[in-house]
Amino acid sequence: MSTMEQSATPSRKRLDPDRLLTLACIGLPLLGLVLFFLYPMLIVFLRSVTVDDGYGLANYTQVLGSVGFWRATQHSLIMGGATTVLSVFLGFIIAHGLYRCAFRGKWLIRAVIVLPLLAPSLVQALGLIFLLGRNGVVSRALGVEIEIYGFWGLLIANTLYALPQAVMIIGAALVLLDARIYEAADVMGASPARQFRDLTLPAARFGILNAAFVCFTITITDFGNAAVIGGDYSVLATEIYSQVVGQRNFNMGAVVGIMLLLPTVLSYAIERQAMKRQRSGQAAGQVPYRARFAPLRDTVMATLALLICAGIIAVIGIVVYASFVTLWPYNMELSTKHYDITLAGGYSSLRMTIVISIMAATGGTLAVFMLGLGLRRLPKAVAQPIQLLAAMPAAVPGMVLGLAYILTFNSTSTPLYLLYGTATLIALINFYHYHTQSFLTIMTGFRQLPQALEEAAGSLGAGLRRTAIDIVAPFIAPMLVSVFFFLFMRSMVTLSAVVFLTTPDLSVAAVTIMRLDDAGLTSQAAAFSTCVMAVVCAALLSMKATLALIGRRHRTKGTA
Amino acid sequence: MKTFTRITTASMIALGMGAAAVADEITVYTALEEEEVAAYVEAAKKAMPDTEINVLRLSTGKLGARILAEAGNPQADVIWGWAVSAMMDPQILEMLEPYAAKGADVLPSTFRDDGDKWFAPIGYMGAFCVNTARLEEKGLPMPSSWKDLENPAFKDEILMPDPNSSGTGYLHVNAVLQSMGEDAGWAQLEAVDPNMAQYTSSGSKPCKSARVGEYTVGISLAFTAMQSIEEGYPLAMVFPEGGVGYELEASGLMASSDNKGAAKAFLDWTMSDEAIDLYQQYKALITVPGVDASAAAEQAGLPADISTVLADIDFVEAAENQTAVKATWKEKLGR
Repeated sequence: MSTMEQSATPSRKRLDPDRLLTLACIGLPLLGLVLFFLYPMLIVFLRSVTVDDGYGLANYTQVLGSVGFWRATQHSLIMGGATTVLSVFLGFIIAHGLYRCAFRGKWLIRAVIVLPLLAPSLVQALGLIFLLGRNGVVSRALGVEIEIYGFWGLLIANTLYALPQAVMIIGAALVLLDARIYEAADVMGASPARQFRDLTLPAARFGILNAAFVCFTITITDFGNAAVIGGDYSVLATEIYSQVVGQRNFNMGAVVGIMLLLPTVLSYAIERQAMKRQRSGQAAGQVPYRARFAPLRDTVMATLALLICAGIIAVIGIVVYASFVTLWPYNMELSTKHYDITLAGGYSSLRMTIVISIMAATGGTLAVFMLGLGLRRLPKAVAQPIQLLAAMPAAVPGMVLGLAYILTFNSTSTPLYLLYGTATLIALINFYHYHTQSFLTIMTGFRQLPQALEEAAGSLGAGLRRTAIDIVAPFIAPMLVSVFFFLFMRSMVTLSAVVFLTTPDLSVAAVTIMRLDDAGLTSQAAAFSTCVMAVVCAALLSMKATLALIGRRHRTKGTA
Repeated sequence: MKTFTRITTASMIALGMGAAAVADEITVYTALEEEEVAAYVEAAKKAMPDTEINVLRLSTGKLGARILAEAGNPQADVIWGWAVSAMMDPQILEMLEPYAAKGADVLPSTFRDDGDKWFAPIGYMGAFCVNTARLEEKGLPMPSSWKDLENPAFKDEILMPDPNSSGTGYLHVNAVLQSMGEDAGWAQLEAVDPNMAQYTSSGSKPCKSARVGEYTVGISLAFTAMQSIEEGYPLAMVFPEGGVGYELEASGLMASSDNKGAAKAFLDWTMSDEAIDLYQQYKALITVPGVDASAAAEQAGLPADISTVLADIDFVEAAENQTAVKATWKEKLGR
């Protein structure tokens, strides 16, 4: 790096295509974040300080003075902490099993672990109730009514949702560990337990901390699970719903929305502090790690991972099954009548949802890749505030973001109004709603990228464009693929933000599911959800096949 | 990308042609039930062939959030069939323009606004959804009033929507307060509270939970009860003695509409004989004098004279007291 800078004359530096590209890599995603996250949130903030006679803090004092708010805050923090501990623990077991252990059937675990991401929220809610409810399968089999509503039910539901995201991020830290370090440790006689403690855990720390941050944040902002299975365990997101939807009191809802940013910013700061002590990057020229079968470790890991997967399959499978049942749980005869859906627009929204999801996934993956690439070339003082901004969107509940988009884009005072009511805006909100997870996965991947590799490419005369395409992208391809699939899956089924942006001509699958359920047709909603999940699975499989094909062609071209 | 551009261009052209063929276009926001919307809109389109009617259906609460969020630049021309207690919110009234729809003058004055900002020819009712299978299994007596729900045997067997989150919740709380009087009403709600398993955020959820046997009694909506009974769930619909709460479904013209002619024509249609005939197929509660409720509703267990089960509701008072009642509820019963 330093040699390059010395050789570049000042005049060349200004026109240097590399600098321009770096600028674009930072500038474009940053512009997106400002327009589609910061600006809408600024408008929410303005609403939170709007009082009868102008601006003031009266809304804040009113919220802070209410007993309900503090109770909900306490519940949210406890729930966030419990879900984080559980999800990160289980997520580490699964990620460790997938990338650090040797056993068969990993494809099954990989496939099952993403199911909670591609299942509409209704499926998870119904599944847990059909399974563990007071009149659920388990209660009936045991003859004892399990009391699922409340803390425990909510903990299970939140963990189901957070777990795949924890696996994605922790996996990004474990997948790229260098095999040679482990070989060296073997040679030096370090026991497997010692290797785990001194090599694997420290290397995974960045991923674990990022995963913890994501799990905590998505748990304290989630409304859906709290509403269906939380019982009377009120959390901050239910407070917002009650203010905005129940009492049409926007400004008070905005106050709670803004307050939700505080714990997130705080936990992000703690996380960064904890990360300071970690070395970054690795030696160049890695050899991918291949685990050898270690009976004790691998049997335990495989059993645990399979047990977790069995739980996920049970929750989702029971809803798929129930969608073919005449009248759950009173008439268990099989029937396909629930698939005859005519109300709420029928199946018409499916095609548009796929288009929107591909837009969100493609644009989103590209944007976070560019941002990650650009951030590596910025001085720390500049990079850090951008990182914080990029990690914040998960702290905003979907409903708040959706309403913020209406307030922002349904205003003729800016040209952004052109986006209102379009599929593009729905794709954008899907991406920014899940920006945090995508960004942190890519950043965790980048963390493994040896600085020396980029420098070597640089000194061989490769510009940023060549380096990005030929060196960086192939290196973090696994993360790019998981981010793409993550965004695709979430965009196919997410409801909370999107529900406020659909129009009479433009609806999405998640809204159809909600409308069917609103109409009391829960079984039809389950049937529609099953179709959506089938479509997502088919799309994922065909994309995977395409990727494998490209990969093979790439390799044969390389050897030829 | 090329295909995408082509699709976009094609749809732009199609849109352009559509605009040329149809004289008017209106956007209608509604909270009426899906199947009603489908039936009414089909008929309205036939009656108004030159008007393109775009309908957005959301639940009462979400629709309110949407309308308020869009207040800076409203997208709807008409609000159609939306809870009157929400419509009477000053923030909403401000956005409406007085219009006396043709035929609305037959409605008694309690079912339309003095200033003609809204009128409500139809409505919906609350009800208790009682799961008869679970009732039998637990050996519980069939409840027929709020008082019956005080029975400690019902502990953790009853669900009710939270009035601070759900209009249906307020519908029930208000009916108890207005029919029994403030003091007795609050005492009644407090007496049932120990048996209440949850206060939910959705108005239909108590009934949906009761119908699959999670709980015995769901204090909810008659529509969901009737629909569940039709589907075959072991459910009984009970109207509590002393009167059940109900809500009017009001319509009004948005002051910001840039197509008021067509919007007014649509509102006129909602009071036409044709529309009222359709209401008889779908609605339990019709406020047009001399028009009986639907035969289907009667089969589902509604009495021929619906007024015998309804609480005596003063909607103006209900709207005025809303904030205070919700705050008191939160203080006394909030969890």
